[in-house]
Amino acid sequence: MPVLRELIDVITMKSDRPMRRLVAYYAIVAVVVAILAYFFPGEIARISAKGLGDVPEGPTVLTDALSSSPTAAVSFGPGSLFDVAVTTVLILIGALILMLPVTWVYMSARPSGGQHNQNVVQTLIILPLVVAGIVFIVQNSLALAFSLAGVVGAVRFRTTLRDSRDLVYIFLSIVVGFAAGVQSLAVGAVISIVFNFVLVVTWHYDYGRNMLMPTAAAQWSRPLEALASPTGDHQIPDRDLVLSLTPDKAAALADRFSRVSKRVGKKRKKPRFDSILTVTCDDVPDAQRRVEEVLARMTKRWSLDEIVTNTGKPCEIYYLTRLKKSIPRDVLLTAIHENANGVIATADLETSGEVDREKEKREEKKEKNDGVKV
Amino acid sequence: MTGRVGLILLVCAMPWAAACRDTPRAKAAELQKIAATRRQGLVRRIAMADANPDKVVEVAKWIMPPQLREISGLALTSRGTVLTHDDNAGRISEIDPKTGILLKSFSLIGNQKEDFEAIAIAGDDIYLMASDGKLFRFREGADGQQVQFMMFDTGLRKQCEFESLAYEADSTRLLMVCKRILDKQAPQDLVIYHMPLPLNRATFTIVRVPLHQLIGSNKWKNFRPSDMTIDPFTRNYVIIASHEKGLAVVTPDGDVVRSGPLPGDHRQPEGVAITKDSLLLISDEANVMPAAITLYRWRP
Repeated sequence: MPVLRELIDVITMKSDRPMRRLVAYYAIVAVVVAILAYFFPGEIARISAKGLGDVPEGPTVLTDALSSSPTAAVSFGPGSLFDVAVTTVLILIGALILMLPVTWVYMSARPSGGQHNQNVVQTLIILPLVVAGIVFIVQNSLALAFSLAGVVGAVRFRTTLRDSRDLVYIFLSIVVGFAAGVQSLAVGAVISIVFNFVLVVTWHYDYGRNMLMPTAAAQWSRPLEALASPTGDHQIPDRDLVLSLTPDKAAALADRFSRVSKRVGKKRKKPRFDSILTVTCDDVPDAQRRVEEVLARMTKRWSLDEIVTNTGKPCEIYYLTRLKKSIPRDVLLTAIHENANGVIATADLETSGEVDREKEKREEKKEKNDGVKV
Repeated sequence: MTGRVGLILLVCAMPWAAACRDTPRAKAAELQKIAATRRQGLVRRIAMADANPDKVVEVAKWIMPPQLREISGLALTSRGTVLTHDDNAGRISEIDPKTGILLKSFSLIGNQKEDFEAIAIAGDDIYLMASDGKLFRFREGADGQQVQFMMFDTGLRKQCEFESLAYEADSTRLLMVCKRILDKQAPQDLVIYHMPLPLNRATFTIVRVPLHQLIGSNKWKNFRPSDMTIDPFTRNYVIIASHEKGLAVVTPDGDVVRSGPLPGDHRQPEGVAITKDSLLLISDEANVMPAAITLYRWRP
């Protein structure tokens, strides 16, 4: 694995962009397969597209059903013990090679800062191997297929996946396993490659994101609401969120807490800012200029909080703002979008007022419920 | 470091490993060795079968590879090999029946998909027949080659469903036996179509064999031929039926010489051929048991 990582680093010139690293991985695999195909054309052809119905060329020794002599077992050609063993090993390795990048994509391209499930990652590696083995055994045998259905029927395999997208990964691993099992790894490879690239692209552009939903960047800024709240108690608002952070992320968050604390002032003092504007974009200077034009015109005060540059994803710019009472949130966001002229990808504004209102509603509801109980 | 050394060793070892295996010369030598051993084994088994002529025993049985699991017709070449094909694809394979070596495979251009049921060789031409009576004429191809073909529609699809085709060299005509007569009003006899070459619908003739004569004392309710061949010694037609697991010998004029059960245990016999050195070849489609070609001593 370190050798592979080094190779990928050399090819991508140590780039962290997932797309480049994926391309590098597949390029390495393609070169290795090409070398193997040059030296072992029969074996590679047998596992890559046999299931598509092609016929092995050249003489083939058929099995003698009447003899128990050594020549009854075929010494070479499909069906011999050695070839079955080699083919099995090759299809399992092939399935593994195709699924490795899928797990990387699964772990990296998580939507909205979600955490990946380690069980699913391991399942993605193991499941295709098992499926390939089953399909390889069952192939062309109706009797075995029925037996398998009976055996599988006796085993209960039910689990609830947190994210419906995980199911798609599981389906992909089954598809790759099937392709390997019927010795059509070429099909599995194409499906796996297309799947990975489509996923990375949709993740990169946050495809299908509802404009009202918080961005990944907004998730990061949510703890800052507490700092901007009128009480300003400086408590960490979401313990689970903080616990789920990596040490690096926690350190970065702590750094931001301290910086924002300095800016908003001491305890019990009326906060200078009441909202956080999050902008995602590719061209930071241009976007900054265009956003700040609007902020200068439409807010009471504003301050650039932080610029976060992401690898493989749009950069994020955070502003602490205090809105004018006459300008509601949507008007400001509309103005930013209009002035941005397509330079920014998303803009989101979180206001402390909304948070407070929500909290009040919740408390009212709780009181009512308590009243009913009494 | 260890990983790098391992990788370098692997890359260096690959050409060496490849050179040790699968070189054409090594493969050819191995093939010759297997063929010689199997020929000797066949001679020994034939001698044993001849020593006990009352008992019908298998002298060889070759298990077919996956691409021939739906093996259908058989046709003997002048070289002593047999051409066979898959039921669904226009793909022809040449097998040496005495050594069980699949020599080559070629296909009709464009990977034709039809319900191919029988094959016959007429001189340099090979005819592949579909169940609806269409005949595909082509020349033998090299291993892995796709060959051009000409299709001739006999126009008999409304009369019969076909599974049997043979070439009668003496009269230069193709013979097609009706498996199932589709016209329910017509008498349910065994119908043999004679089709002189070159093919012309106007020259087709029919020979009818009364079914009750064919069934004779056997407990069959019907007789649905799955293939036919011509006995090289008597020139009689040898017809097998998959469903009834039966074999019938009929003269070219339609007289029944004999009929009875097939030798051995056959799950789905789809092809028959008789060699000039008295070997009866029967091909079985995969049905619970794997597809196979079985050889018996033929006694006319």
